[in-house]
Amino acid sequence: MSLRQLDPWLFGAFVVIALCSFLAQDSTAQALNSPGFATRQLVWLLFGAGSMVLVGLSDYRVWARAAPALYAVSLGLLAAMLVFAPLRAGTRSWIGIGPFGGQPSEVVRVVTILLVGLLAAEHRQRRSDLAGVLRLCTVVAAPMVLIALQPDLGVSLTYLPILLAALWLGGLPWRVWVALLVAALVLAGAAWLWYLKPYQRERVLTFLDSDRAPLAAGYQQRQSRIAVGAGGLTGRGLKSGTQSQLRFLPAQHTDFIFAVWAEETGFAGAGLLLAAYAALLMRIFLIALAARDRLGAVVAGCVGFWLAAQTAFNLAMVLGLAPTTGITLPLLSYGGSSILATCLGLGLAQSVWRLRFANV
Amino acid sequence: MSFVRDDLRPVQRRTALLLALCAAVFLVLLGRLWTLQVIQGEKWQRLAESNRLRRLPLEAPRGEIFDVHGEPIVDNRPAFQLLLFPEEIRDREESLRFLIDLGIGDEATIRERVTRALRTSHLPSIIADNLTWAQMAAVAAHRSDFREFEVHQTTRRSYPLGPAAAHLVGQLGEVGPEQLGREDNLKPGQLVGRSGLEKAYQNVLGGTMGNLVVMVDALGRQVSKLSEEKPLPGKPLHTTIDAGLQRAAAEAMAGQVGAVVALDPHTGAVRVLLSQPAFDPEQFAGFLDPGYWRELVGDPYKPLNNRALQALYPPGSTIKPLFAAGALADGARSPDDTVFCTGQVQIYGHPYRCWHAGGHGRVDVETALEVSCDSYFYYLARDVGLERLASWAHTFGFGRPTGIDLPGEISGLVPSDQWSRRARGHKWFAGETISVGIGQGPILATPIQLAVAYAALVNGGYLVRPHLVPAAATLPVPTGLPAVALTRVRAGMERVVNGERGTARRLAALGAPRKAGKTGTSQVVRKRDGVKWRDLPWEQRHHALFVGYAPAEAPTLVVAVVVEHGGDGGSVAAPIAGQILAHAFGGEVEVGTGADGAEEKPLATPPPPARGNHRGSQ
Repeated sequence: MSLRQLDPWLFGAFVVIALCSFLAQDSTAQALNSPGFATRQLVWLLFGAGSMVLVGLSDYRVWARAAPALYAVSLGLLAAMLVFAPLRAGTRSWIGIGPFGGQPSEVVRVVTILLVGLLAAEHRQRRSDLAGVLRLCTVVAAPMVLIALQPDLGVSLTYLPILLAALWLGGLPWRVWVALLVAALVLAGAAWLWYLKPYQRERVLTFLDSDRAPLAAGYQQRQSRIAVGAGGLTGRGLKSGTQSQLRFLPAQHTDFIFAVWAEETGFAGAGLLLAAYAALLMRIFLIALAARDRLGAVVAGCVGFWLAAQTAFNLAMVLGLAPTTGITLPLLSYGGSSILATCLGLGLAQSVWRLRFANV
Repeated sequence: MSFVRDDLRPVQRRTALLLALCAAVFLVLLGRLWTLQVIQGEKWQRLAESNRLRRLPLEAPRGEIFDVHGEPIVDNRPAFQLLLFPEEIRDREESLRFLIDLGIGDEATIRERVTRALRTSHLPSIIADNLTWAQMAAVAAHRSDFREFEVHQTTRRSYPLGPAAAHLVGQLGEVGPEQLGREDNLKPGQLVGRSGLEKAYQNVLGGTMGNLVVMVDALGRQVSKLSEEKPLPGKPLHTTIDAGLQRAAAEAMAGQVGAVVALDPHTGAVRVLLSQPAFDPEQFAGFLDPGYWRELVGDPYKPLNNRALQALYPPGSTIKPLFAAGALADGARSPDDTVFCTGQVQIYGHPYRCWHAGGHGRVDVETALEVSCDSYFYYLARDVGLERLASWAHTFGFGRPTGIDLPGEISGLVPSDQWSRRARGHKWFAGETISVGIGQGPILATPIQLAVAYAALVNGGYLVRPHLVPAAATLPVPTGLPAVALTRVRAGMERVVNGERGTARRLAALGAPRKAGKTGTSQVVRKRDGVKWRDLPWEQRHHALFVGYAPAEAPTLVVAVVVEHGGDGGSVAAPIAGQILAHAFGGEVEVGTGADGAEEKPLATPPPPARGNHRGSQ
């Protein structure tokens, strides 16, 4: 076991993103007048890097074998949280013990990926049958529903790419895809009617028709687009973006952190960050291709597609291509649980990479 | 784990497809980033600028106006305005209640102002001005509850002379949209001159508004001052007005309705320009109270009218020196021609009465002026006819504006047969000419025209252009009147004051320098026998006029006084002119030396009836 066995490209991309993350948080910390933000983000990133290395040096197959137990504990925790977790900002997504605390919903995602990988590996060469599909759907839907009940729609939605990736990699006949599509549409319709709150519906409608409410729901997207656009080629300088420093940008340390970065560093900085994300994700997919076994391939593929989907959706939202949904940008958005979950996923990918040549 | 090697190729194929999909999505995102930042960058930068920058208009102080001695007629003093930033309003009703409690106006007015302010979206509006210290303290104390209000220091017009100079300096008002379109140095909301000197010299007095550019945050709070385009103050205006004399004229006219014009007969420099009743110019310096405006507009005495330029009066006997000069110049009369006045003359089969029922006996031109004998001028009018009377009136500037550097001057009326046919639809009657001979009937002049005409009589026959600012002076225009004619007329006018039978002989008591002038009493309704004017209702009384000058030998000041329905020129208008001349040259007006006998109570001039009871006579 040696650090040399880890993928330097993956680690390098992570370091670049982490650096950007610290600088961007440092900037919004000034805008929001909360100097602790940047420091805490840095601590989390360092802690996350350590976790990634540790998981990378471990054997992902061991984790996979523990997955069913971990998963059961996770579901129990999520269910208990609906009753016992303190209500913060309208949701019961956060628990704490002493000075430590976080959102389990972020980390449970990694456990879910492990379990999904385990299920896929047990199927081996056979094409997925209906029972297998239902099992996959249940495994992903259970935490999703519990998290949606917290309610935390943003995190809940980040489970969806895992399911899609697992189904895709497992291989499904096209008829099943059509059936799933129909089911998804029915589910979306039901969610629209009974689950989504009026302000969430308004967000979607605003995205579809940007003139709908220029001052209410459209405000965030408009300010975000102004911030990104005003960055120009070279940006306005760190801590000098007027959109962020004068607080025109909403949720600038979480959902819209990329807009802060884009405004202050311009296309040069934003393009670099985008390239770092692309490199990171490309590397994870390459790891999936290089995996020695089906478990490794599915785990790495699911981690890759989850991070790719979350990143792409957040960026699309910031750039005005998707409605605002409260989906954060991995590693860049402020928050320890999210960083930890991302790093654990990256650590699993590293482990798959490290063990790619090992004998059966 | 099984020892059979798993075939991973299908999974790898599908992973490669996922990779391709993600790469494609990232390319789209990169393209979007390029579009926003590089292609459209400038547009978004502009929007970011307008997000954070707010322009506050800075009012430019208007230029001060000084009198001929350098005394301020219009001044500026610091004042505090209450600005409303509409975007900051959290609860409109609460803001309204706060404003009402502040005591800056009644509820309806405040509601209207706030509604208007909200219509101009994000620009701040002036919601109140002239705040008291207590009001400013109240705003400051509630700063955290009402972020939309801000106290703004500015300057405000102040008028040391008060209503005495109201018409002279004129009103201010917010610039109108059509004027904004014409002149690009004006900005919306700016106060501009609407009348008087403020309007005539707007280009001098009105400065250029400045701009304060401030950076605000998302909550609209001012973060920092970015740049300040200082307002350019207006330039001062030095006028020919004599503030002390203007004040004296207002005191002398106290309570009367009418006008006073005083000017230097040689240059036309106006020393006094007074119209009464007046308004309070302070009320126009900021927010005009609609109640006050309605009161002014509804007032039957029309206090907004500048009677010195905009009111027409039959000149009455004050026209006699003009016709006398014309007659002597034309040779229609020689200085020694006489008329025997029996108190009544018979012309065209009609009796025309002289004002003095007992008759003046034999009068020549000088005596006719001294005693204001009507008979002399009836015969003159009969002998020369309307056209020549009209041409003499034109010679002295009647029937056309004098060209004073104030807006709104009117022409007056010199009648003719064509005028009669056009305006009245019938031909001129010969009998009317006889009335015109004594300044009655359809011959109308403004007080400023009277003053200019008399200036020509006493300055050697030059028509001056009256002006308030030296730069507006033009060369006097010779009328061609021979000196010998003017000398005779001036001798007659000196006897009006200094002669034994002079109609304004009370002014002789003023002492040196000698005064001269001519009285006039122009009829509003036909004179009735045996009724003293003091017994008539106010609106039926005659207009009282007097145009005087001093020193008689080398005049430096002409004063024209018109008192609407004053009753009698000699006992009402002449003492007012006397008081003004006394102020200018020293000496006291002695009261009680009336021309009309014992019942005279000089200067106890009956004022017009109380406002509001009056139903209008004009």
